[in-house]
Amino acid sequence: MMKRIYKSIKRVLEWMLVVIFTMLVIDVVWQVMARYAKISSGFTEELSRFLLIWLAVLATAYSRSYKGQMAIDFFYEKFSQKGKYILSLFIEFSIMAFALSVMVIGGINLVYITLKLGQLSPSLGLPVGFVYSIVPVCGIIILFFSSYHVINYIRKQKEVISSKTVRP
Amino acid sequence: MSVATIAVITLFVILLVLLLLKVPVSYSVGIATTITLLISLPWLPAVTTIMQQMTTGIDSFALLAIPFFILAGDIMNSGGIANRLVNFSKSLVGSFPGGLLYVNIISAMLFGAVSGSAAASASAIGGILSKRMEKENYPKPFSASLNITSSTVGLIIPPSNILIVFALASAGTASVEALFLAGYLPGILLGVAFIIWAAIVAVKRIFPKEDSVPLKQLWEDFRKAILSILMIIVVVGGIVFGVFTATEGAVIAVVYALILSLVYREIKVKDLGAIIVKSSKTVAVVMFLISTSMALSWLFAYNEIPQMISSFMLSSFESPIFMLLAINITLLIVGTFMDMTPAVLIFTPIFLPIVTEIGMNPVHFGIVMVLNLCIGLCTPPVGTLLFIGSGVSGVEVSKVIKPLLPFLAVMVFVLLLVTFIPQISLFLPRLFGK
Repeated sequence: MMKRIYKSIKRVLEWMLVVIFTMLVIDVVWQVMARYAKISSGFTEELSRFLLIWLAVLATAYSRSYKGQMAIDFFYEKFSQKGKYILSLFIEFSIMAFALSVMVIGGINLVYITLKLGQLSPSLGLPVGFVYSIVPVCGIIILFFSSYHVINYIRKQKEVISSKTVRP
Repeated sequence: MSVATIAVITLFVILLVLLLLKVPVSYSVGIATTITLLISLPWLPAVTTIMQQMTTGIDSFALLAIPFFILAGDIMNSGGIANRLVNFSKSLVGSFPGGLLYVNIISAMLFGAVSGSAAASASAIGGILSKRMEKENYPKPFSASLNITSSTVGLIIPPSNILIVFALASAGTASVEALFLAGYLPGILLGVAFIIWAAIVAVKRIFPKEDSVPLKQLWEDFRKAILSILMIIVVVGGIVFGVFTATEGAVIAVVYALILSLVYREIKVKDLGAIIVKSSKTVAVVMFLISTSMALSWLFAYNEIPQMISSFMLSSFESPIFMLLAINITLLIVGTFMDMTPAVLIFTPIFLPIVTEIGMNPVHFGIVMVLNLCIGLCTPPVGTLLFIGSGVSGVEVSKVIKPLLPFLAVMVFVLLLVTFIPQISLFLPRLFGK
């Protein structure tokens, strides 16, 4: 069940990344062409900045599904199998603590504040809170991916600790 | 103890512990920043402020150049550009003694500039050349260490994402255009220095040479490679001469790479989804690092940490020469442990005010910093290129270290030249009035 949700969230994220990245390319190409054709297109730069935030945050959430963020494993390699197992759990819990406190709670508060202030973006007239709303959503996705990894670690605990080579 | 001192200690202790425990770098920076801010703010305002700094930190049109250059590089790579560049360099310099060594260096310079990624360069060029070099009895550890170090050259020769990151971190004191122009000569100087060292070894140990190729073949290989090389010229030229901004130049690179690969039928339209997902994976690493590091540099400013460190350093080093040496040594140590992007984002706000105080041009400092951090990419314990380069050549990391040392010495030598002769970096930007 969890694996199915994991796979479908991953697929939805991939799909969104492709759409947003493509929109970004089209948006900025349009900006260049519009300038040479002397058509005014005030919205393109603002739109591209918002899309960049969405792209970055969604890509970050996606990267949790395959543990894709860069890390230093020099000292990690020196730990015993049991140490590696415990460390892997520690890493996921640190990430979850960050995702929950900063991305979900901090993010919701930020969305709430900007919506309450009624802050609108200058040229698109979009509520800025709407742009930020992707952050708590992605925080929740990261929480899900990390719990998925934690469950897998625990499930394979015996196998990992007794073996010499299996990575947690 | 002042709040700033407590903040510095808390920050660096937590950051170091998390990094060593293999918590991803971006999350480590984010967590350490949040905990440090808790010293001076209650937790809800603290997490909200961090979140706000993380989003405003990447809310920038200039930064958009980075995802575009990554995408352009990935499109080029799947189109087999590495092969074309290697073939061209082989026809050009293969017939000298130790020919494949220069082929490796020149391909890495071209490929690194086009793809913007040293890691991609080390694996693509190394992947193509290492089998060939092994067959012709080049010692594996030597050719691996050559491939590892020469793949850094593409980080200095524009277009270069790390220079865009520096422009961002310098808070507008160094423009992308000036940095791009400034990168050429130091980059070429580094490449030439590698070639000289490779030539000395090749002559001493009598390395084989390739058959010289007829002019017709050279022309053929040139024709195939030139369209890819032309991309750098069009894009960088356009940016430098103010035809378009760096971000627009980057999107033009995407369109150019796309048309080129589709016309050559090297990729199909249906492959594009997979390429974009691949680029997104790189974007995730770079952008999230930038995001949390921007929150960190905000925290620095909030606690007035740069002022504290700079007044300490300005009072301990009287002479600018010692100051620059001290900064370079600090960065060398940082570089061995930390990847380039976070190192640039974290240490630019600290060191830039100091060096401008002693009269250094921010553009010059950017080149020095990037060149310095390139060295750390090739050294243990955390040398991305060292591991990739050893991996593609199929040689153990421990065996690469010894032949690597002279190459690192070459890099340090070039670093000293670039540090103390500002004209190497500033000649071109001044010539073009940037």
